[in-house]
Amino acid sequence: MFNKPIDLAGAVAFIALMAVLPLVFGGNYLIGVLTVSVIYGIWAVTWDFMSGLTGRENFGHSLFIGVGAYTAGFMNTSFGINGWWSIPAAMVMAALAAVLIGLPTLRLKGPYFALAMLSGAVIMQRLMLIFWEQTGGEEGINGLTPLIRSQLGFYYFALAVLVAITALLLFVARSHWGLILRAIRGDEATCQAAGINVTYYKIASLVISAAFAGAGGAMYAHYQLQVSPQLFAVVTSITIITMVYVGGMASIYGPVGGAILLVLLTELLRNFGEWRLMVYSCTLILILFFLPHGLVAPMWRRLRSALQAGTSAPAPRATLPLAADGAAREAE
Amino acid sequence: MLEILIIGAVSSAIYAMLAVGFTLIFGVARILNLAHGTFYALGAYGAYFFTSLKLPLLPAALLSIALVAVFGIFVERVLIRPMRHSQLAVLMITLAVALVVEQALFLTFGSEYRNVPAFVDAKFTIGGVDVAGSRLLALGVGSLVIAALWLFIQRTRLGSAILAISQDPQAAQYMGIPSDRIFSVVMGLSAGLAATAGVLAGPFLTVQPTMWLLPIVKAFAIVVVGGLGSIPGSILAALMLGYAETIVGYAISTSWTEIVSVLATLLMLVFRPAGIFGRRAAF
Amino acid sequence: MKEQAMSSISGAGIKRSAFLASLACAALGLAAPLAQAQPKPIRIGVPTAMQLQVGRDTQDSIKMAIDDINAKGGVLGRKLEMVVADETENPETGISAIKKLTADEKVDVLIGGYTSGVTLAQLPHISAAKTIYLGVGAASPSIQAKVKTDYDNYKYVFRVGPLHAGHQARQLTGFISTFVKGELGISKIAIVGENAKWVQDLVPLLKKGATEAGADVRATEFFDAQTSDFSPLFSKIKESGAQYLIVVLSHASSDIFAKQWYDSRFPMPYGGIDVKSMDGDFCERIGGKSVGEMAANFAVRAPLTPKTIPFFDEFRKRTTRSPVYTAFGANDAVYIYADAVARAKSTDPNAVIKELEKTNYVGIPGIIQFDDTHDVKPATEGYKGPAFLIAQWRDKCAREVVYPKAMRTAEFKYPEWIKK
Repeated sequence: MFNKPIDLAGAVAFIALMAVLPLVFGGNYLIGVLTVSVIYGIWAVTWDFMSGLTGRENFGHSLFIGVGAYTAGFMNTSFGINGWWSIPAAMVMAALAAVLIGLPTLRLKGPYFALAMLSGAVIMQRLMLIFWEQTGGEEGINGLTPLIRSQLGFYYFALAVLVAITALLLFVARSHWGLILRAIRGDEATCQAAGINVTYYKIASLVISAAFAGAGGAMYAHYQLQVSPQLFAVVTSITIITMVYVGGMASIYGPVGGAILLVLLTELLRNFGEWRLMVYSCTLILILFFLPHGLVAPMWRRLRSALQAGTSAPAPRATLPLAADGAAREAE
Repeated sequence: MLEILIIGAVSSAIYAMLAVGFTLIFGVARILNLAHGTFYALGAYGAYFFTSLKLPLLPAALLSIALVAVFGIFVERVLIRPMRHSQLAVLMITLAVALVVEQALFLTFGSEYRNVPAFVDAKFTIGGVDVAGSRLLALGVGSLVIAALWLFIQRTRLGSAILAISQDPQAAQYMGIPSDRIFSVVMGLSAGLAATAGVLAGPFLTVQPTMWLLPIVKAFAIVVVGGLGSIPGSILAALMLGYAETIVGYAISTSWTEIVSVLATLLMLVFRPAGIFGRRAAF
Repeated sequence: MKEQAMSSISGAGIKRSAFLASLACAALGLAAPLAQAQPKPIRIGVPTAMQLQVGRDTQDSIKMAIDDINAKGGVLGRKLEMVVADETENPETGISAIKKLTADEKVDVLIGGYTSGVTLAQLPHISAAKTIYLGVGAASPSIQAKVKTDYDNYKYVFRVGPLHAGHQARQLTGFISTFVKGELGISKIAIVGENAKWVQDLVPLLKKGATEAGADVRATEFFDAQTSDFSPLFSKIKESGAQYLIVVLSHASSDIFAKQWYDSRFPMPYGGIDVKSMDGDFCERIGGKSVGEMAANFAVRAPLTPKTIPFFDEFRKRTTRSPVYTAFGANDAVYIYADAVARAKSTDPNAVIKELEKTNYVGIPGIIQFDDTHDVKPATEGYKGPAFLIAQWRDKCAREVVYPKAMRTAEFKYPEWIKK
């Protein structure tokens, strides 16, 4: 991504836009919506890093989110520990969860892996409800203290975290590591034959994905000031996958746009009253049907080539790794 | 004990109908149809709608099943076929269909539970166990329908075509079997099966707009445990799940049933991922 | 532009411009005094589950109250206005609904609520927005707890309805001891509840109270709100030897519970807290299968107060539906708020809160007053607050109040297949 200065310019423009938006339009409502969308962005990016690259669709991403959020919840309310400690703690717990569930299930393919991860998340949700005395049942944990008093301040913090995580994961994805993950998606047996420790890479990517998702969960908990078992729900995982899809699979930066778009969409449609979710779902069908490669990433690529064609001599049509993202998706 | 036997059998019959339809479309067309639960919901709502228009029960039920089958074919041809290049795309679009239908049901029928009248309202006592007539009917009809499907696949030309495509799609095409048309037929069958389950279970289970989600999660689990694409596997796994849930419900508490079945699924995936009857097993 | 200049030179053009100009002046002339005379309306924000019956009835009920008050001139010369935001049953959507209403729509007061989990999640955000909140649907006692422990931050939160779960438990215990044991002579009971937190908090109190009253609690079972097959549960209850089934249901599938109870001709009557059974059309929509069930209601179409029957009738006239419990609280809340604002002569939250605390309003289920946690006070021996009425479904889906004896409209009748 940072090969080309135009990509960097695009990223900076995006960050500037996100930073300026609440200043221009103001109001705690918009800031709230943007903050939530940024956190969903973190979750979407982390999902894309693991599942987008390796092709192992994880239908239980909410497991890591929930683990992170509940860790933060317990630490803050039961033990009274300062919120800032909960982020690293959440990362550790989520990483642990990833190892625990990843080790036995990562050798599974396609729908089997998806189902295994989904089962993990469902079990955790059930456990939260069964042990209601400790976890507050469906009322969840309430009364967390906010990390940063100022709404705007927390938003900038979340935005900074999103940018940092995205940049980091993009860097890893463009590196040797990312190449191996993509190779695993292509043909795992060959990779193994070539002597690559496939298991190590798969687990490592799941752990990284989980750790950052858990961090997002902790941040979410300290922003919403409550933790509910609904975070573990299947719906949460599916929402995130939809965001990645709309953003553009395996692009890492696309899901950010996808997340922000979809969260904004759900909120902006409030004017439709009872029809809000109907309009949302229909819009989703239209996007999925007419834009099978997503909305955000392909749009950026087109924009970029248009800009490049406009300024200098036509640049080669999209760098190779990106083309491989789009094309390789079709080999199912 | 006898009660567990009977109630477990009823649960299993409903699950089996759902699972068989799900595995059918997956085995043949490799489509993970997340809208399968929606067909179940539409079957139940269709029966409710037509009976509220004062149609007698049997025609209402059959009409509902037929319409859902047609809807299934529509979804396959218009929405799924263009997406077939990517399994995830199919997944996503069927999910979106499920969401749209759920919202449509909310807006049309409201959020409250609706009443689907039962074919048989009486209560039967078998060996000292009180069972509602509608449950026994579900068990009976469900078994018949699955048996009929099995015979259809084994004995008819169309059935052989379906078998052929599930075993080797390319060879089947070389043999001149029109796979696209078969996919539509299978989708219609699958949807019809799910709708039948909805019509039968409606009288004694939930009929509300979000009723599509839980059945699809369960069907997914059953089908994976039984072996994707295997009808005998699905039936066996449905029996296992139905009885496991019933036994846990009686022995411990209904709060634990879901966790037990999900845990069982997870364990099966970890230790024997191909399922009981493996992936490419013929029907 | 050139053509317009050309045409305006001609006579017709001048006439038209003059006409337009005078029209504009007239409009401005009218608008200016109108703008001055029309004071800003008082905005009522309604966070509720829009797709559910409770949400629909909350909105319709508030609308009824607003129309009535506006017809009488509004409050402090200002009209009332309603803004609705969907909170669904998801805390995330609930929190953003509060933010939308307070930060974006800038409402003066919030009236609504349904799921306790969502309301609890919304509380810190309501407090941060320093906006008054009048709850009409959530029953968890923890919602009002913070009013006492952290008054400065949480003084904004009030509950107009329903009676909180603790009160309900006490009333239910009274029902068991006075009616089930006292009048029916049944002492062997079973208690069944959905495994929601408020139920799990309530049931031990219930069990203790019932046992102290001399009842023999043979079984206590919890089940998942999503359960759609109650056969295992029924089986266990039957085997326990109980003769009356006490239920505590709210989000659970009461419809199916009733249907399966009837279909299997379960050999004991049941009753208790069953929120869905409060719906006017509950019995009809399950084909009359709940006849015999006894369920708690906060209000039925009976002269509980002078407002009760007119409200039911007006609601039915407007919506062709029978109101669910959130409608009572919502309607009363609007009037209570309007009265408080009128007394405080301002919409400033601090002033209005002082007046709200002094509320003494004749509402639909009873007299509404708040205790020191801003929670609605239940009825007692001498005080006609909202009471816990147990009504039974009868033939043709009519409802009769059976308990307390003072409000009884008909005698209890056993379900037809139970010989007694």
